[in-house]
Amino acid sequence: MTRGETRSVPAATARAAAPWMTGPRRAGARLVRLYATSRRIPAAVAAIAACALGLRLALIGHWDSYGALQLPLVFETAAATAITVTVASPFGVPERVTGRWLPYLRTAATLMLTAAAIGALAAAGTGAHLAGGTLDVLRNLAGVTGIGLLCAATINSGLAWIGPAAYLMPGAYALYTQWHHPALTTPWLWPARPPHDLGAAICAGLVFAAGVAVIAARGARDPVGEQA
Amino acid sequence: MTATSAPARSAPVTSRPGLSTARLLRLELRHNAMLWMMPVAVALFWVTAGRKIMATPPLWSLRAANMRLSAVLAFASPVAGAAAWMGLRESRRRTIDLVNITARPRPARLFATWAATTCWALVAYLACVGVVYGVTAQQATWGGPLWWPAVAAGAALPALTALGFAAGTLVPSRFTAPLVALAAFFVLALSTQLINGSQSYWQVSPIVAWPWELGPDPGVGTFYAYLPDLPIAQVMFLAGLTVAVLGALALPTGAGARSVRRSAVAVTAAGLLAAGTAVALAGTGRLNAHGMIAIPALHDAASDRPLRYTPVCGHTAIPVCLNPAYASYLPATEAALTPVLGQIAGLPGAPARISQAAATYRQEPGNSVGIGLTGPATSGSPPVFRMILPAQLPGPATTASEQASQVRSTIGPSIVASVTGDGPGASRAQHAVTTALLMDARVVPRHLLAPGTPVARNSAPGSALAGGRYVAPPPGSPVFAAAKRFAALPASVRRAWLTRHLAALRAGHIRLGQLP
Repeated sequence: MTRGETRSVPAATARAAAPWMTGPRRAGARLVRLYATSRRIPAAVAAIAACALGLRLALIGHWDSYGALQLPLVFETAAATAITVTVASPFGVPERVTGRWLPYLRTAATLMLTAAAIGALAAAGTGAHLAGGTLDVLRNLAGVTGIGLLCAATINSGLAWIGPAAYLMPGAYALYTQWHHPALTTPWLWPARPPHDLGAAICAGLVFAAGVAVIAARGARDPVGEQA
Repeated sequence: MTATSAPARSAPVTSRPGLSTARLLRLELRHNAMLWMMPVAVALFWVTAGRKIMATPPLWSLRAANMRLSAVLAFASPVAGAAAWMGLRESRRRTIDLVNITARPRPARLFATWAATTCWALVAYLACVGVVYGVTAQQATWGGPLWWPAVAAGAALPALTALGFAAGTLVPSRFTAPLVALAAFFVLALSTQLINGSQSYWQVSPIVAWPWELGPDPGVGTFYAYLPDLPIAQVMFLAGLTVAVLGALALPTGAGARSVRRSAVAVTAAGLLAAGTAVALAGTGRLNAHGMIAIPALHDAASDRPLRYTPVCGHTAIPVCLNPAYASYLPATEAALTPVLGQIAGLPGAPARISQAAATYRQEPGNSVGIGLTGPATSGSPPVFRMILPAQLPGPATTASEQASQVRSTIGPSIVASVTGDGPGASRAQHAVTTALLMDARVVPRHLLAPGTPVARNSAPGSALAGGRYVAPPPGSPVFAAAKRFAALPASVRRAWLTRHLAALRAGHIRLGQLP
């Protein structure tokens, strides 16, 4: 049996094992549903919604300048972490060697969750004073998500939150230094840059693109013998 | 040796619980996520705090307070997240059933994991404290390490690990660790928004190292001893919280024998009681006159006595003496005041010494604080002019040249005014002479800071400058013209006139037209 022949076996088996499937569309929908369930994407969506709700409730309160600036960053980081958590696979190597749609599913899931998080947080800030506005949310969330994805691919999918959580501290500190000089102005600390700053947007975009690409190509680094 | 003798040899080892606990702890120490999180926590501390702390003046109070705030914030996320990750371990590795049948009760296993996590967190924290305090010890000119701020920040780590560990154990989910890590930062960093005035329950937060509305204050803890009242309440709160959370871990059914659970209930209740008491105590705190939070139930009156020190004095015409903690400021202060002191040295009523004094703090409505001197600026015999250095006051760090400029423009005019008797209600002649002396000393007398306002100032109620704001006379005014004329006199003539007429000038008996 050649390698090409072995590839055709699971497909035939799948058709035989699931006679109720009537076509590729239904199979595709089932694949997406199973992927979403295995990655806890519904829970991640709920977490993102909770972040948006939390941000909305927090914006009702009265904050001083530091608090008003740092508040959105905390919720953006929380939403980015929720996205990062979904890249962990409960199946590990067996899934990698059999799932040829995995790169597309990973990319689509990450992009959709990121878009959902940006939309939810931006909507939460509507009608309230959201420091930095929607552009800030877009840049910060994308960048921090990229950090989380890179951590998931290099460290451990379960510990991928370390990157966003660790980045939050220098990010908040960089915002603080806008008042207490010397200010940190490097574009790699994009939360402290103005929303229209091109350098910061490029840095955040690069990190996000790199994160999505690495996750799509390699997937997260899943520890052996641990439940994701 | 027979086969039956073999178990007999191992029996004494297993019957020593201390040894087996130590072995379990050693195993946990070797397989703990916090070990790998230590570099992250230390790096966060140095990125966000190291540069900032080392850039501040080498004053123990200032560096200890900054170190405490930064350390707690930098360690919060990594420590709480790592603890939650360790709490998740049995669920993550699907070994709950496996370890539940071991001889050791569940609380003992959990405590060993928590203790190992806490140990590594404390090791990383102590390394940071050691470096900050070590460098400060080499740079500081006076005083010693303040241990209470370090202890209060250190007490936050077991509490953070306990909370994170409990969350990971009780809510095993892939979202738990990141949620705990971010929640720890959020709660600690933004809870201070709720502090309003010195009597706030939220001061029990471990990042509050000083009256929150005041900010890092270099003047605190140098003239009077650092008050441990608030740190004691904070340590009490954090210890109570830690004990309560750890006790709660042993509460669920199946956690152990009934006696263990009863003990857990008692421990949890005691922890909650201690934490609640600490919160209540923190709410009774008030800003004392020395810029620290005093809690009546914890306050030791002996702490209110001023610290003894031998001032360091310069060699100007009128010696400038500073607290030895501020010795590094002496050259710049001397250089800034030399022109002014040269104008008044030897005149009747001129101060014999310029001495740095402690600032007095007063809580004002809302979150504002008034800072100033208590009593008149000049007192004693021979007269001593008391001053507050700008470096003593809270605010952003300034360079040596900025400090010198502030000293020249704020303290310089105050010293001259104390000799001429200038201030609110003074005559135009007094105002003109003050302006003339400042002109000759090349000091721009923009204003003398006014008391009674919620800002830092160098005068006091009842002093010559009380209740008013000294503004240089506008060019073209009679006072300005008289000042210019007086300043243009040869120094010897001016000095001779002042020697003869200064008493009359101070009494307000000299009119503007009588000035030479």
